[in-house]
Amino acid sequence: MRRALSLIVLLVLAVGLASALRGPSVGAEARRASLIDDDEVNFGRRYNSRAVEETGASNVVASVLVTYRGLDTLGEVTVLFVAATGLAALLHTGRRRRSEREATPASLIVFTGCRFLFPLILLFGAYIFAHGHLTPGGGFQGGAIIASGFLLIYLGCRGRQPESKRLSAVESLAGLAFVLIGLIGLAVGGSFLLNFLPEGSPYALLSAGIIPVVYVFIGFKVGSELGGIVGDLSGAR
Amino acid sequence: MVSPMLLIAAPLGLAFITPLLGLLSERLTRYVPAAAMAFNFTLGLLLLPRVLREPWIVETAGLRPPFSIHLVAGPLGVGLSLLIALVGLLVSIYAIGYVREGPVAKYHTLYLLLLVGATGMVLSADLFNLFVFFEILCISSYALVGYRGDRAGIESSAKYLVQGAIGSSLILLGIGFVYGLFGTLSMADIARNVDSVTPMKVFISMAFLITGFGVEAAVLPLNAWLPDAHSSAPSSISAILSGIAIKAGLYAVARVVFTIYGADTMPMLVLLVGILTLLVGEMSAFSQNNIKRLLAYSSIGQIGLIVFALGLASASGVQGALFLVVSHALAKALLFLSVGYMIYRTGSMEISSLYGMGRRMPVSSLCFTIGAFSLVGLPPFIGFAAKFTVIRAALAGAAPLLTALVAIVLLGTVVEGAYFFRIVQGLHFRPPPEGAAPEQTDQYEAPVSALVPICLLAAIIVAVGLYPGVLTKYLGPAAMDLLDKAAYIHHVLGV
Amino acid sequence: MSFLAGYVQYIGSFGLVLIGLYIVLVKTNLIKVILGINLIDTGVNLFLVSVGYIRMGTAPIFSQAEAAGREMVDPVPQALVLTAIVIGVSVVALALSVAIRLYEHYGTLNLCKIRELKW
Repeated sequence: MRRALSLIVLLVLAVGLASALRGPSVGAEARRASLIDDDEVNFGRRYNSRAVEETGASNVVASVLVTYRGLDTLGEVTVLFVAATGLAALLHTGRRRRSEREATPASLIVFTGCRFLFPLILLFGAYIFAHGHLTPGGGFQGGAIIASGFLLIYLGCRGRQPESKRLSAVESLAGLAFVLIGLIGLAVGGSFLLNFLPEGSPYALLSAGIIPVVYVFIGFKVGSELGGIVGDLSGAR
Repeated sequence: MVSPMLLIAAPLGLAFITPLLGLLSERLTRYVPAAAMAFNFTLGLLLLPRVLREPWIVETAGLRPPFSIHLVAGPLGVGLSLLIALVGLLVSIYAIGYVREGPVAKYHTLYLLLLVGATGMVLSADLFNLFVFFEILCISSYALVGYRGDRAGIESSAKYLVQGAIGSSLILLGIGFVYGLFGTLSMADIARNVDSVTPMKVFISMAFLITGFGVEAAVLPLNAWLPDAHSSAPSSISAILSGIAIKAGLYAVARVVFTIYGADTMPMLVLLVGILTLLVGEMSAFSQNNIKRLLAYSSIGQIGLIVFALGLASASGVQGALFLVVSHALAKALLFLSVGYMIYRTGSMEISSLYGMGRRMPVSSLCFTIGAFSLVGLPPFIGFAAKFTVIRAALAGAAPLLTALVAIVLLGTVVEGAYFFRIVQGLHFRPPPEGAAPEQTDQYEAPVSALVPICLLAAIIVAVGLYPGVLTKYLGPAAMDLLDKAAYIHHVLGV
Repeated sequence: MSFLAGYVQYIGSFGLVLIGLYIVLVKTNLIKVILGINLIDTGVNLFLVSVGYIRMGTAPIFSQAEAAGREMVDPVPQALVLTAIVIGVSVVALALSVAIRLYEHYGTLNLCKIRELKW
């Protein structure tokens, strides 16, 4: 009964999706030929042709994320923050520290390997988010890599976990810094997240104004948040 | 420096530092949401006269719309964010004393972020940005529903989360279609180009968006999560979910339908969905024994009425809908808040355990009565003026079918009156159940930090009910903000 | 075949969405339902990326060697997908924590057996 009903729902949805695709008008490919393909109207065209001169970042996706759609990125960071806080709140009242039941300690090789790899992973993550405006990558990707370093610590070096207070302090300060950068733009030029720093020369590390600065803060924030989520779910925090 | 952007940025910054404050002292965090909402309320009042003259288009990243995300602070956006700030402020004052157990700092952070999400939704003029703020609202409410960590809370949180997540995916599919069709995400820009594609494709993208936002708005087939979520959450959160969160979902649906797709007539289906939601909500509420479930089902009924009023698609109908949004937000927040301490004191959500409360908690019971009467639509409370506006708008065209539907609306109101009178009568005129605590009025009544917001809400309900002109003069511009697509496009894009 | 070449990415993404939705509607284990939600997210993300795809287009990143060469794909859907992925991760993380708490209360993840409230 339930299966039949859900198959009917799926069928309706499939027909809807298929009929939405009929005829050549969905997607950038199709829009190339249609009326509204003009860089005065079309977002993608315009960003591809002007982003480098407007923001100085050679990675167009980075300039879309941090400047053109910067408010989305702030919201996205907030969503992750909400999830980390909500997860900690939900797990708070539950079991009492399941990690404290005796876990087999990792062997010396695993333990040493994790301690050796951890700083290298952090360094790689930092590289990814510091070069976000030049190469593929950025704050979220770099943050995710940093969180994988934390995951390694939780798995291999129990007893050496990062202090949850410090993680949440980094999280808060990085989020506050993002909002403050936006507000400085509002105070200086009357618009939130304005790129108020000099653009510099393209393809240089110190270029693109606020984009690398914001990406560094996002990297810290995402790294500490995902690290905290991993710690909470593994019962270590 | 004063800009509508601060309505979002300032509470968001405060929410980010709340965990830091929590490390210093957990007591301090209790005042953060109240401070942020007081700031928003003041700023909203300052902005209101200006945006009534002309909507304030807020650009980000120093680019003219539509090429960066922009906010439109029109009469509707600022008006709704004022409502959010007012209800949010009062509920956060209530929560200072009410929320004592569990990770208090995290509660206040999540609560503030929920309000930030709602404020961002009503101000944003970019479809994807609207979705991001919607997600902030949704995810923080999933977590807050399960805040107490008891069986019912966690279970309804799971239910809400699964349904909400599917709704979000549908919205995202709709946004993908919209971007694929128009190559733009600015609502004004989409609205300008909407005639350039075939109606079928427009309809499908719209259907995805409406269904997705409709899950949060709790319109009829999509509202299975609501009674559980609203009844299992802490009372302060139920007040916000019923008062603000569903309204934000409804706002998104209305914005998509009226402003983006420019619907000037609605199919009969919308009116029928509204009426059905109303009837199902009121009938289910009638048969409840659990007071919070009853209030939750009554919210569904009121949502049905608002959908009905929006479905009229006339200026007066939308005005009536907005009036209902305000009156229901105030009255339902009042009801949940005043019931909160009654449940806390008796430890039971059964209606029969509330009998005789009129003696033991006189102020809370009186305010509950005011809220209930306002919801039913008795004069001189705000609910009467709101329902009256809707019914007058429905009868304006003198269409026979609409007259019949109005009769059904009135029938729903009678049902609503029946169950609310039953509770009010129990509160004031029935003896307390066997084994109840002896009468110690001064200790039994809710504390001052709870009575202040409850009495303020009751006072506002009576005051606006007596002088509806205070509110109605803003409803006209706000309704036009929603309905007048050409003016919206003109203000945003300057064409 | 030419029909498939233009639409294969859409078919794949919608297929993922439908499979995920089927899992959510039919399965009773909460972990499986969460996996279904994850599949829907993946499908939707794939759809968003393919909306911005231009055949033979390159990634929208300029470099000194190739300042302006081949046509680039649309960068906006890529930015949207990044946001959507983060939102999806947040929802799934929260769902998993709810599942942990639910298991503590009931000792099962079978949604048919968890019936304190009406489902």
